[in-house]
Amino acid sequence: MNNGIAAFAVSCTREPTTGAGTLQRERQLNRFLAEIERRALRIAEIAVRDRDEALDLVQDAMIKLVRSYGDRPHEEWTPLFYRILQNGIRDWHRRQKVRNRVMAWFGRPGARDEDYDAVAQAPDPLARTPEDELQADQAMQRLEAAVRTLPRRQREAFMLRTFEGLDVAGTAVAMGCSEGSVKTHCSRAMHTLREKLGDHW
Amino acid sequence: MNTPTKREGLEERAKQLFDGSVDDLDAAALSRLNRDRHAAVEALQGSRSAVRWSLWVPASGIAAAAIVMALVMRGPVDVGVDAGPMTASDFDILIDDESFEMLEELEFYSWLDAAGLEPGGNVG
Repeated sequence: MNNGIAAFAVSCTREPTTGAGTLQRERQLNRFLAEIERRALRIAEIAVRDRDEALDLVQDAMIKLVRSYGDRPHEEWTPLFYRILQNGIRDWHRRQKVRNRVMAWFGRPGARDEDYDAVAQAPDPLARTPEDELQADQAMQRLEAAVRTLPRRQREAFMLRTFEGLDVAGTAVAMGCSEGSVKTHCSRAMHTLREKLGDHW
Repeated sequence: MNTPTKREGLEERAKQLFDGSVDDLDAAALSRLNRDRHAAVEALQGSRSAVRWSLWVPASGIAAAAIVMALVMRGPVDVGVDAGPMTASDFDILIDDESFEMLEELEFYSWLDAAGLEPGGNVG
């Protein structure tokens, strides 16, 4: 087992809190969430392709982190937060899949389980006017589109490492896998993205 | 001087674009995030009081269970007589002030009952 996960796994101690400590902890949590929330929203939005759904997922992650892990040392919050968020995203995709299965049962065409990709099927939240489209950053759109085509674990690893800037150990904690797996997922993701986006992207 | 590899170049570009898209988030999204964050931090207070209650409830439950277990394990006090089922009058006797004296002489009354004697009277 890698050192990062081992160190994280044994850290089950909760920091003692007094009245003043509670106030300080609230401030720390507020600062931490303020720093992370916007990137978390974009990561969730790229994953589920829906702004409102992404906001709900981030909100859930915030509440769960505060309630369940607010007493943990603050250096553990980032991987824990993203672990909660990634679990939320995974559950969201499962629900979408079930919903799609039910819709298929009632006759909606083109919804087979194996082929269904909730991200690819969802409406584009950035449905912009032609003028906006022209002004939008096409490179980012291409990147998002390419990231969405990645298998889930590769997508998670790539976004956590590249977008959020987590190190390998933190990403492993957030994804609930080994550091070796993170490196493998990242490497494959980069390879695929380079192929899709081209050398001159 | 080291030139960035293709991979590093891709990562760097992706990161820049992502950060740009984060900076471009609209006011509505930022407002919602702000509200959600404050609500989440406020939930910390609720969770603390809930934790305090949740600690007391099982603690008192365990204490009550321990007392019951102790009574069950100990069983009825063996005073050498068949006590029979307890009735309301038994409680009256126990509550009565005089009952303390009677309890001190419990062995005597047990013997009396077994022998079929009345205090100050004769056998049978």
